[in-house]
Amino acid sequence: MGIKGLTKLLADNAPSAMKEQKFESYFGRKIAVDASMSIYQFLIVVGRAGTEMLTNEAGEVTSHLQGMFNRTIRLLEAGIKPVYVFDGKPPELKRQELAKRYSKRADATADLSGAIEAGNKEDIEKYSKRTVKVTKQHNDDCKRLLKLMGVPVVEATSEAEAQCAALCKAGKVCIVSSVLISGVLLTVYGVASEDMDSLTFGAPKFLRHLMDPSSRKIPVMEFDVAKILEELQLTMDQFIDLCILSGCDYCDSIRGIGGQTALKLIRQHGSIETILENINKERYQIPEEWPYNEARKLFKEPDVLTDEEQLDIKWTSPDEEGIVQFLVNENGFNIDRVTKAVEKIKSAKNKSSQGRLESFFKPIASSSVPAKRKVCLL
Amino acid sequence: MLELRLVQGSLLKKVLESIKDLVNDANFDCSTTGFSLQAMDSSHVALVSLLLRSEGFEHYRCDRNLSMGMNLGNMSKMLKCAGNDDIITIKADDGGDTVTFMFESPKQDKIADFEMKLMDIDSEHLGIPDAEYHSIVRMPSNEFSRICKDLSTIGDTVVISVTKEGVKFSTAGDIGTANIVLRQNTTVDKPEDAIVIEMNEPVSLSFALRYMNSFTKATPLSDTVTISLSSELPVVVEYKVAEMGYIRYYLAPKIEEDEEDKA
Repeated sequence: MGIKGLTKLLADNAPSAMKEQKFESYFGRKIAVDASMSIYQFLIVVGRAGTEMLTNEAGEVTSHLQGMFNRTIRLLEAGIKPVYVFDGKPPELKRQELAKRYSKRADATADLSGAIEAGNKEDIEKYSKRTVKVTKQHNDDCKRLLKLMGVPVVEATSEAEAQCAALCKAGKVCIVSSVLISGVLLTVYGVASEDMDSLTFGAPKFLRHLMDPSSRKIPVMEFDVAKILEELQLTMDQFIDLCILSGCDYCDSIRGIGGQTALKLIRQHGSIETILENINKERYQIPEEWPYNEARKLFKEPDVLTDEEQLDIKWTSPDEEGIVQFLVNENGFNIDRVTKAVEKIKSAKNKSSQGRLESFFKPIASSSVPAKRKVCLL
Repeated sequence: MLELRLVQGSLLKKVLESIKDLVNDANFDCSTTGFSLQAMDSSHVALVSLLLRSEGFEHYRCDRNLSMGMNLGNMSKMLKCAGNDDIITIKADDGGDTVTFMFESPKQDKIADFEMKLMDIDSEHLGIPDAEYHSIVRMPSNEFSRICKDLSTIGDTVVISVTKEGVKFSTAGDIGTANIVLRQNTTVDKPEDAIVIEMNEPVSLSFALRYMNSFTKATPLSDTVTISLSSELPVVVEYKVAEMGYIRYYLAPKIEEDEEDKA
């Protein structure tokens, strides 16, 4: 999923573009979250034991609600303002990738029934995780919950990732022009996702591990696109080509070319076209139908909403009765826990009113020379 | 090569005590004009800006602009080893990865060297424009400290309003509310006890008391504190450091939620 091996490639070749940040330091920031990816994670992780999952009385799975509820509250408590972006229709090019995932899931389902027969607990857990699929019902449940919590939801026309990045980009523009004056809606600071596509879609800032459970104590990793390009010495177009060569969701990659080779080739030749002209075709088999140009177009001009009317991003007060009705009465959540959580949302709302210094003062370059230079041992 | 000799070493000790709770790691910048620091707290709500001008040092040598990353907790540990009357000298070599603090007793019969490892700190430097503030309040620093401490037992946010009546500090919490009003008072025996309120425009802003309380750690540095407020800007709480410089704390205001909803 996403771009193959991009994290490692960046860690090796553009280390200073990645910054570890404390979860708390994002307070007051508006952050776009890829909802589908989060729901998928919740279904895999939250309250799972073997094939058993959290369910309500009717036997419907509620892991995603539990996860979405708790994790979102954690963001709100940290003073973060999340915007959840849901996937729309997948682009044509992704069909193939999706079909692959579908058949993998079918395999896993077969494996699972085998494992259950054999009674192998580890395998049962492993394969049942692989059969997880986010359904429309899951999405709708989460949307309803988020709306009740007063958290904005954006439905992308196509890929959620691309929409997140578009929000972020739009935000960047607004920051310069008019945030302080008119408080323009689209000022999302970063994109939170586990899928590395965001970078290729040109999200200026990108966060990983933001949605990880607090128990894992993983610092949030912040990627800065401008720095990545600077360190890799690539243009954005070349970076997109690099991602296509490394392997994306939209088309096959060339057998035998991974991230490192791709980076070398792009640096040497500048674009996929020139690489194709110069590459040893005996050694590397180029797929016969290789829609790299279409993939490129998807990254560069993704199908996203840009109309401000439709992107009505507003954080409102939670609807306590609605939440209780939905979670307690319909889905069998513990009422005490839910009321306590709603209290948390309310008090968090208070906290998020604290301003940040960056909204008043702008960073400038320091003129001093550091006494201690970072020595690279590798 | 860097060598700064400060006869009144206790100043540096007090400076450290007044910033180490707010900021963990920071870069000290040395230039020909002076020894300075600018750092934000981890949540980027408060900023501390320190300047000790070169004239204030008995001996000041700084061959080129140098930035030294230090862990303030560790630096404070070392400075605590200096006596209150000691002369403190800060020494560092260009390109070196340590800084040395030398403590000399007033009688010159004891000399201690403490060497501390420097850190590589990646920090953003914010440009703070010179602004005309709507209202400026100067008051005894221990009075301000007392007010912040008292109010934080009642609530967690202080509203500071300046009108022509005076300056009002108010808070509200679960147990009730509190209001403290100070009026201009310049007919005092000692000039540092005066309360001077310069109001160009009335202002009213809300701040987290937690940060205000941590600013008042600088109270031992100066008898007076100056609070500058503008409705569009972070508050500045300034303590003078003897005749040689200042510590300024900037704190972003709390924003009324309604305003944001309207926007």
